[in-house]
Amino acid sequence: MSRTKKSSKGREKVSASSVPAGVEAHNAGESAEAHQQQVAARIRAGLFAIFAAVSVSITSGSFGVDGNFAFWSDSIGGEQVFFSVPVALLWGIVSVGFIAITLLQLLRGAKFAWRASIGIIAPALVIALLARLLDGTTANLTVFFTSTLSFAIPVGIGALAGIISERSGILNIAVEGKLLSGAMVGSIASSITGVAIAGPVAGALIGALLSLFLAWLGIRYKVDQIIAGTVINIGALGITSFAYLRILQPYSEYNRPIGIETVDIPLLSHIPILGPIFFSLSPYFYASIGLILFFTYMIYRTRWGLRLRAAGEQPSAAGTVGIDVVRLRYRAMLIAGLLAGFAGSYIALSGTGGFGINTSAGKGFIALAAVIFGAWNPVYAFGAALIFGMTSAATTLLSGLGVSLPPQILLSMPYIVTIIVVAGLIGRVRAPASAGRPYDQG
Amino acid sequence: MKLELQGITKQFPGVLANDRISISVDKGQVLGLLGENGAGKTTLMNILSGLYRPDSGSIRIDGTERTFRDPAQAINAGIGMVHQHFMLVPVFDVTESVVLGSEPTKGPLGSFDRTTARAQVVELSKKHGLHVDPDAKIESLPVGVRQRVEILKALYRKSEILVLDEPSAVLTPQETEELFEIIRGLAKSGTAVIFITHKLNEVIAVADKITVLRRGAVAGETTPAAATAASLAEMMVGREVQLTVSRSKSKVLEPILEVNEMSVLNDAGAIAVDRATFEVRSGEILAIAGVQGNGQTELVEALTGLRPIDSGNVTLESKPFAAGSPREIASAGVAHIPEDRNRDGMVKGMTIAENYILNTYHLPQYSKRGLLDRKAISAATEKAVKDFDVRTPSIDTDIASLSGGNQQKVIVAREFSRNVRLVIAAQPTRGLDVGSIEYIHRRIVEQRDSGAAVLIVSTELDEVLALGDRVAVMYEGRIVGILDAKDATRERVGLLMGGIVA
Amino acid sequence: MTRIGAFARKLRVPALSIFVALFIGALFIIFTDVEVLGRLLSDPIGALSLGVGRAATAYSALLRGALGDPETIGKALASNGDVQLWARALRPIVESVVASVPLIFVGLGVSVAFRTGIFNIGGAGQYTMGAVGGTLAALIFGGGVTPVPIAIILVMIFGLIGGALWAFIPGFLKARVGASEVITTIMLNFIAAQFVFFLVSNFEFIQKPPRIQPVSKELSQFVDLPGILPIESLRLDIGIIVALLTAVAVSWFLFRSTRGFELRTAGLNIAAAKYAGMGAASSIITAMLISGAISGLGGALVAVGTVKQLSPGIAGSVGFTAIAIALVGGTRPSGVVATALVFGLLQHGGSLMQVTTSIPIEMLLFIQALVIAFIAAPELTLGIIKNPFVRRSKSVTK
Repeated sequence: MSRTKKSSKGREKVSASSVPAGVEAHNAGESAEAHQQQVAARIRAGLFAIFAAVSVSITSGSFGVDGNFAFWSDSIGGEQVFFSVPVALLWGIVSVGFIAITLLQLLRGAKFAWRASIGIIAPALVIALLARLLDGTTANLTVFFTSTLSFAIPVGIGALAGIISERSGILNIAVEGKLLSGAMVGSIASSITGVAIAGPVAGALIGALLSLFLAWLGIRYKVDQIIAGTVINIGALGITSFAYLRILQPYSEYNRPIGIETVDIPLLSHIPILGPIFFSLSPYFYASIGLILFFTYMIYRTRWGLRLRAAGEQPSAAGTVGIDVVRLRYRAMLIAGLLAGFAGSYIALSGTGGFGINTSAGKGFIALAAVIFGAWNPVYAFGAALIFGMTSAATTLLSGLGVSLPPQILLSMPYIVTIIVVAGLIGRVRAPASAGRPYDQG
Repeated sequence: MKLELQGITKQFPGVLANDRISISVDKGQVLGLLGENGAGKTTLMNILSGLYRPDSGSIRIDGTERTFRDPAQAINAGIGMVHQHFMLVPVFDVTESVVLGSEPTKGPLGSFDRTTARAQVVELSKKHGLHVDPDAKIESLPVGVRQRVEILKALYRKSEILVLDEPSAVLTPQETEELFEIIRGLAKSGTAVIFITHKLNEVIAVADKITVLRRGAVAGETTPAAATAASLAEMMVGREVQLTVSRSKSKVLEPILEVNEMSVLNDAGAIAVDRATFEVRSGEILAIAGVQGNGQTELVEALTGLRPIDSGNVTLESKPFAAGSPREIASAGVAHIPEDRNRDGMVKGMTIAENYILNTYHLPQYSKRGLLDRKAISAATEKAVKDFDVRTPSIDTDIASLSGGNQQKVIVAREFSRNVRLVIAAQPTRGLDVGSIEYIHRRIVEQRDSGAAVLIVSTELDEVLALGDRVAVMYEGRIVGILDAKDATRERVGLLMGGIVA
Repeated sequence: MTRIGAFARKLRVPALSIFVALFIGALFIIFTDVEVLGRLLSDPIGALSLGVGRAATAYSALLRGALGDPETIGKALASNGDVQLWARALRPIVESVVASVPLIFVGLGVSVAFRTGIFNIGGAGQYTMGAVGGTLAALIFGGGVTPVPIAIILVMIFGLIGGALWAFIPGFLKARVGASEVITTIMLNFIAAQFVFFLVSNFEFIQKPPRIQPVSKELSQFVDLPGILPIESLRLDIGIIVALLTAVAVSWFLFRSTRGFELRTAGLNIAAAKYAGMGAASSIITAMLISGAISGLGGALVAVGTVKQLSPGIAGSVGFTAIAIALVGGTRPSGVVATALVFGLLQHGGSLMQVTTSIPIEMLLFIQALVIAFIAAPELTLGIIKNPFVRRSKSVTK
């Protein structure tokens, strides 16, 4: 009995690895994959071309309309600097950009760094779209940028949490639940202690606790990791809503967190226009950038990262050279939980309202989208979070200004984009091979 | 270093995997550990590498008793394992793969010191003549090179006791010969090597001494000089190997399956079967021999509709079936005993009855207007269970709870339940006990005698020689020779399997 | 005898997990009570007895809300057929059944996918799109445009189609390019909600006048599903009948039909399904279509019959609850119906609990999460005992 089970497992591996019957045949295998990549590249080029065509047509229809923008020049709420740009010019830039990307994609094929190019063109596109939709109304771009960041921080850090746990081999669809719990516990801790730092710390701790629970279900009891994640998501929504209604609402003193003040970076924050956007932000922002860069380095350049990736790709390879895969996964989940809870605390502490029911509002799921869109790379994922943040900020801005556009379409973009990416239409993303599989030696 | 295992016993629920096993190997010595499937070799090695802990018994290295709680301790003690299924991360490069777990680092963050690692790998591979490109991705390497990476992994950890578990299972004969050279070289430089295999000739070729395991216990010890293939085989199996199936001479009639210049691609899009041409006639058994991984799997999948045929043509009773689906091919009278019964042949979690109708459920006798006819299914299964001597409490038992032999009997019963013109049996007796092997061989021969054409694919040379009226040999995707039974000596077939076409 | 024994064994784990989850829920009630917490240090015994008392009050309110008030039932029994009294006595249990209708549908839908090995967590989205289909059908064909029975049938058909279409996307993507259905269905849940938002805030034809709130027109003006109880004020409509018939149909389909056999085979071993000549891709797509259609049918019937309005949040937490129900019910239609009825009782009882003791009904979400965890973990714990390989590897991983 034990043999038969083993042989079945082994066979899969053998048939997967005993590919080549000779070198010549082997090249054929590579070219098949290359062919697939070329197809995806062509689809991308086609998509870019469509965008280019649409942009050109919008450009031609936008002459004579001005997009009116404003910035806070010295500090938020202070003096505004106004300026207007012809909408046609903005769209002209976007058109040229898309045409360039299309051409580059066609010329360079699979080698083209399309993710980065999307990262460059997307902000321009959103601004142009905004200008076009504003239709003369003035929009404050400082507000737009800060609101982009306030969306991107929890999503980006949530995505980082997802990346670390999935790189270690544990599927993490529970980011949403951890954000939510981090938000509530962060708010309560900050309110009770009256110490600002208590919020993020407590949020991170509860996130870690939930994360370890998820890992425990998945590793110790081999509960399907999707089911375990679902348990956390439902449970967190239930508990936080319950506690909110039962405690935080009637006794609102427990839900009046100390706001995390923005930090003005000396000198830099006084740069006109740029100062308020980049150098007068919540410490969360600086922490987030630091964490993203730190963990990107850790994942790709250190022993920890090498082992983490090995555990997520082929845990038996790590286990047989003496790496304790289970402990490694627990640790990764601990880190992921700390990060997600920390990100959650931002949601409750960055504004003024404290915690509210379902206050994360699906950001944890958008974080999953960012993980996939960013191909399990923290920097790319944060880029995706920024783009998603822009669409969200644009929607908020537009609805605040009473511009009549169905914002639902814009708000659906992250989800639609994710489906397209998961479907592999515009290029395969490779998930850690063993994410979601319990570690079985044999 | 000298390694001794004394009285190692390991009990799994229902199986005594290791029963007081004692073996030893000296510095510079190659121990051949010989045994059938299920003899307990792999369990023993997993104990040695710290994956399992023995229920009793001791491990001594240079006379000192050691216990390994995890693989790390075994590695530190100088034991290096090369597993049968390689333990490599496909997306890593060779350098990363070799040093994983003992990486050189620098700086406070434990940054991976790639330069040092790469230099160490290059030096190591030069020193031992194990040529690899330190920057190549594992997934782009052929199997033989991956194995070199595995050996480098062990050497990098300064292993002085190297354990190779069925290392030649996926290798070509040349690669196997290279491997033997490597092993001899390592032994010369003082490494103790344990070479686990079930291939008689290999232990004779490479080992300094041989220990034979049978059913979890040591069945005998000998040396290559004192042993012959026949004597080793007897120790391994426990009695004179009697694989000659009693059968009459075949009455060969018209061709049933004609394969002409057929090529098939594998999953990666590489050519796995290269312009194969052969026929199988009514009343004969054509046995295809070959080392695992030479295209047999793809050949069978193509002939049973599980894999598209890239070029060439195939006819079944003069009708082309190149575009057939598994179902169409089955209804044309083809019985398919799949290579991996756990993966393809049965559905664990379903009953014996459900498995019995797995690919006939849609036929009118079992299905009426889209609904299953439970009575008919039960009746047919009851009969099959009786006919094929399947030992089971009931036909509503989950097939997962049967023994391997009984599971295979259910599969064979199902496949032979239809009107069969062609039997395609891939590794029909892999992993079975001797009684089941004999039973299934007899059933296959019966099919031949009743006029079906039989195609058997097996990596077991004994099985091929015992059953085949004609023997074809596959090597690197090609049919390199087809011999009549009378010409198919072990030597000739063996040479062909090694790609040596006389 | 043995059959009863086996049945009881099967019930043991689900029943126990619901029970334990409710117990933990009680602990939550006690330890989130500010008054209890405030006295816990100075007077622990008093605080705890206060807490236990509150929990008991809450659960008894839950029970009365779910099944009915014994006193009212007594009066009704004594009244010799007073319709008003009977209506009052029966309302709780009838409403509990009403609450279980969407759960039965989505639970069944999700189960069909689970059985085929597809983790469809898009029940909410498919239910929502079914509600969209039903609402559109009601608006188009209701209000006297077509005869009432035909309008009702069209509502159901549109619901089926809406749900099936929404499930087709992930099914197709999984079958053709291997896209993870977990991710795609999660994303489609959000898109469905946004789509409803879009519909009910941009079209005069759909939006409720004076077009301020993002909700649809009152659907009862267009199509009213006939009730099935003799007392008119009890709103149990044909939805429950359709739900039960669907359960029978699903059971029949899964365990008696050849197509169902194919789906179950694909769910247990996709390689064997291919070997047996069953189209794996078509099994995945079929399962998703059926799964989505059932959820969509539920969405249409509940939107038109019970809620009588389409809104972006119409699915609520039904998608989550359905997963719990499918797992507790062992993805068997009979088990799903039974579990859905229990969850319906909890849900409606919970709303009375919220009204009378101000303990939020959101507690049920938490209880559901616990139930899922208990169901999922013991299954594997049992597997560890039974299966030597898991045990072996456990010793490895320790």
